[in-house]
Amino acid sequence: MSERRPYRRPMQPHWWANPPYRAYTLRELSGVAVAIYGAVLFAGLISLARGPESFDAYLGFLRSPLSLLLHLLLLAAVLFHVVTWFQTLPKTMPKVIVDGKQVPPQTITQIATLAAGACSLILLLFTLWVAR
Amino acid sequence: MSEAVQEKRSISPIFWLLFGAGGMVSALFGPALILITGLLAPTGTGLPESFESYGHALAFAQNPLGKLILLAVISLFFWHGAERLFLTLKDMKAGPLLVLKLGTYGVAALVTLATFALLLSIGF
Repeated sequence: MSERRPYRRPMQPHWWANPPYRAYTLRELSGVAVAIYGAVLFAGLISLARGPESFDAYLGFLRSPLSLLLHLLLLAAVLFHVVTWFQTLPKTMPKVIVDGKQVPPQTITQIATLAAGACSLILLLFTLWVAR
Repeated sequence: MSEAVQEKRSISPIFWLLFGAGGMVSALFGPALILITGLLAPTGTGLPESFESYGHALAFAQNPLGKLILLAVISLFFWHGAERLFLTLKDMKAGPLLVLKLGTYGVAALVTLATFALLLSIGF
C-alpha cells in the first residue's frame, strides 16, 4: 500500500566513459598506472630472489621496446597523477589560514606541485650524480 | 553505548591511509623512479650499464634502508591502485563487492606479504 517508489535518475550504461565523468575515470585509472609500476618493481624483486640468470632475463625485458613504451606510458600517466593529486589536495586537507586570510586552493596546488617536481628532480640528479 | 559505537567502527580509514601514502609517495617521486629504472638505466642514458646489474640490485635489496624503500614503494603503490580501482569498479557496478575487494585489496595484501617474504629471503 505504502510501497516506496523513490525516483531514480536514469544513468547511461557507460556513464563513466562520457563527460563529465570521464575526467574522474581517467584520474582514477592513473592510480592503476601507479600500481602497474609497482608490479614492474615487484617482478624485478621476484627475479632478483631467484638468482642472476632470472634477473638478467628481467633486465632483458626492461631493455625491450615493449618495456620502454610501457614506461613512457606509465610516465605520462603518473605525471597526470601528480597534477590531479595536488588538484584534490586542498579539498582533502584543513584550511590554511595565513594572516587571517585563507590561502586559496590554487596556491596550495601550485606550491605542492612545484614541491613534487623538486622532489623528483632532486632524486633524479642525486641518482645521476651517485652513479656517474 | 560506547561498545555499540565501537562495533560500528569502519576499517576503511586504514585503506584510505595506505591509499593516501601511496598517492603522495608516487606523486613526489614516481616520475623520477619511472624515468630512472624504466627509461634511463635500461637505455644506458646518463647511467652506467652496471647501474641495474644483479650485484647492484642485490646490494640495494640487502641493505636495510633499501629493503624499507622497496617494501614501501611496491606495497603502497599497489594499495593506492587498489583503492582507486575498487571504488571505480564499485561505482561501475562491475561485480559483487566481495569479488571486487579480493581483486583489488586482496591483491595488494598478497603483494605486500610476498614482498616482505622476498626481502627476508634475499637476506641482509
